[in-house]
Parts: sequence; structure tokens; C-alpha cells
Amino acid sequence: MANKKRKSTASKQRAKARQQQQRAAAGRAAQDAGSESTASAARQSIRRPGDRPPRAPRRRRRSRTPWVLVVGVVAVVGSLVVMFLTRTDDTSRGDASAGSIEKLTSVPATTLEAVGVPAEPSNVHRLPSGTPAVEQDGKPVVLYVGAEYCPFCAVERWPVVVALSRFGTFSGLESTTSAPPPETLPNTPSITFSGSTYTSDHLVFSSVETQTRDFTPLDTPTDFQQRLFDTFNVEPITGSSGAIPFVMIGNLYAWAGSQYDPGVLDGKDFDQIANALANPESDVAKEIGGAANYLTAMICQLTDDQPADVCSSAVIQQAKTALPTA
Amino acid sequence: MRVARWVPPVTMALALGGLAVSIYLTIAHYTDPDLLVCSDSGTVNCSAVTTSAQSTFLGIPVALLGLVWFVAMLALSLPVAWNATSRNVHLVRFAAALGGIGFVLWLVYAELIIIGVICLWCTIAHVLAFGLFVVVVTTAPDLLSEE
Repeated sequence: MANKKRKSTASKQRAKARQQQQRAAAGRAAQDAGSESTASAARQSIRRPGDRPPRAPRRRRRSRTPWVLVVGVVAVVGSLVVMFLTRTDDTSRGDASAGSIEKLTSVPATTLEAVGVPAEPSNVHRLPSGTPAVEQDGKPVVLYVGAEYCPFCAVERWPVVVALSRFGTFSGLESTTSAPPPETLPNTPSITFSGSTYTSDHLVFSSVETQTRDFTPLDTPTDFQQRLFDTFNVEPITGSSGAIPFVMIGNLYAWAGSQYDPGVLDGKDFDQIANALANPESDVAKEIGGAANYLTAMICQLTDDQPADVCSSAVIQQAKTALPTA
Repeated sequence: MRVARWVPPVTMALALGGLAVSIYLTIAHYTDPDLLVCSDSGTVNCSAVTTSAQSTFLGIPVALLGLVWFVAMLALSLPVAWNATSRNVHLVRFAAALGGIGFVLWLVYAELIIIGVICLWCTIAHVLAFGLFVVVVTTAPDLLSEE
């Protein structure tokens, strides 16, 4: 028992001596460092068995965010380049969904009535009085001369088809687009008249597309078409010297170019335009429908207001009053 | 904190180069697009881009916007600006670089996807703007984190 007590006392003395040594060492360390350390600081420097060695001061880690931004920009540009290099320019014939052509050739009369007409027709010129009648098979002629590559032809065909569909029937119409970049208004969706036929009790539609969208020759104008083009698509009448599209409404009106703002077609495909035509609130319907109403009013003058149900409508009567006179 | 010694002269050179190209493009915009020494057919077609609907933004020619941006970046790239103690100077430079590269991305998209051709001079301006962006954003953390 006494032996056990002695052992315990000796153990306590050794522990006390060890603590004193450690405190003395800590104090020396603080002095060596020239620090104004307090007892607390000294206690902190005491390392016990099992303690981790103090870490060396860590260098501030540099943010990766800037390089993430740089890599992000490079990735976006790289993606755009890949899209550019792999794009297809074959958005040509037949891209319209089934039924879209029919929507174009059967725009409801109520829609055309609702869209009305702009205050005055754009780009329309009255042919000089005394211009001889332009007829085939005893019917007045509406002439169109254009080309599939031509963006303004693409723009103009929309109202031409809408208007002519009120006087007769198209067949064989196909969708197409104008020439790819770098042409102006590239890939403008439209219809081609090449390969189509038009029948009407009231008029003859004479059309020719002279080149494809990749500028290869397509249809050759007949002598009749070429003569009208050369005679009437001249500076004093249309303000141009052979520009296309060239449209001639019998011996009454002619123009070169489009009748409305091509911007309404920007970014839209054939189906979107065809669908928008049925909505009188859409810009597409207002622009194309408005131009079609003026075209209809001009053709009505040519057909002696036939068919009556078309030519007697309020909007067509209104359009007639705004047409240029000789 | 001072930036590395190469940063001010490099950014000034990039901004000056971009400014020169922007002046060239702006003059061509207001006078004759064919003034640009550049192909006018095929994939590289400057005039197709500089006369496109995307050549203006809110009615302002993008060439002019680029000119103004490079002038601002030139001012923010002067040694006095890099060594400015005001954190706001570095913040403005950082924001301008971000805004600039964002606009460049839109223009690259317009060229490659909408218009479908590339404007050589515009691309040079874009590369110089990207260079400025890289230098500015990689130096920004040190400058903006200072008290």
C-alpha cells in the first residue's frame, strides 16, 4: 500500500517537472521570436504528443473564374464556327409542310377583309394611257418575270399567289427559298412559279423564273414575255432598267421590286408565314394581305370587276380609290 | 496591388489596334462600304456584313459602337488607370470587358449564323477585343479583391 502511494507521488512529480520544462521551452521560443507573446500565446505554442505540426502559411489560391469565362467565350465561338461550317444551304424546294401551299392559295376572304390595305400602294406605277391591251386567248394578262435566287421575287410571290388565287386556281406550286448567303435577304422562303400552272376564267397568268436559286438558267421567257419586259420595265415607267421581279397588270399597272417590307418574313420559315397569313392580327397577314388586296383591286379593274364576290368587297373598293391614275 | 509590367502596354496596344480598325469600319459605314479592302464574294464578304440589318444596333452603327468602346478601353488601359487605387476603376474596366465580349459574341453569331459570311475587318476587331477581355478578366480578381 505504502509502495503504491510512493509510486503515485513519484509519477505526479515527473508530470509536474515535464509541464515546467514545456512552459520554460515555450517561453524561450516566444523570446527567441521577439514576440510580445502572452501566456496565452505561449500556451498555444505548446505541442502535445499527437498534435499536427503547424502548417506553413498557405499561398492565396488564385480564382479560376476568369479562365472559366475565357474558356466559355472560346467554347461559344467554337460552337458558332462549327454551326457555320456544317450549315446546309439546301433549304430549297419542297420544304413546306403538307397543306401549307393550300393555306397560301386559300386565305379566307374575311382575313383579307380584316387586314385592309395600307394608305397607298407601294411601288406601283400606272402605265401610260393609250398602252394597248395586253391579252392572250382573249383574256387580260398578268405578267410576272423573276428568278428563284432573287430575294425580292421571293417576297413578291406571296401576295401575287394570294391575289391570283381569288381569280383562278394554281397547281404544281412548290415552296422554295431565295439564294443562300451572301445574297441579300438570304434564304427568303417563297413559292416558285416554275413548273406550276394557273387556270382562270378571267385572266391569263404568264410567269417565268429565269434562274434557279443557285443561278443556273431555268425557264426561258417567251417572246411575248420578253417583249413586255423590254418595253415596260424601263426607267420612265417602273423606275428601273430591267430589275426583277417585274409584275405587269395588263395594260394598267407595272412595277419592279416588291410591294411591302421584306422584314416581316425575316427569321420565318414557309410554314410559319403560311400559318400567319390566316391571322389578320399578324404583321405577315397585314403586309402580304394588304399588298394582295391592292393586287386584287388592280386585277378587278382588268377583269371588269369579275368575279363579283371578290371585286365588290369593301376593302377592294377602298383599295381601288387609292390606286395611281394615269 | 500593381499589375504585371506588361499589362498596361499590351492592353494599350490592343485597344489602339481595335480603335484603328473601328475608325476604318466607321468611315466605310458612313461613306462607301466598298472602301474596305476585303473580298466581296464568297465566305469572306465585308460589305455584305457592314450593310446588313445587323450592322446597326438600336439605330447606331455597330462600327461606331466599337469605336466608342475601344476609346473607353484605351483610357482604362493607361498605366495611371491600371495603377489606380480606386477599386471602381478596375470594376468599370472589368464590366466594360464583359459587356464588350458579350456584344462581340452577338456580332459573331450575326455574321456566322444570320448573315452567313465573315467580315475580315470586323473579325480583326473581335480578336483584339477578345485579347483585351482575356487580360482584363485574368487580372481582375487581384485588383478587385484588394481592400
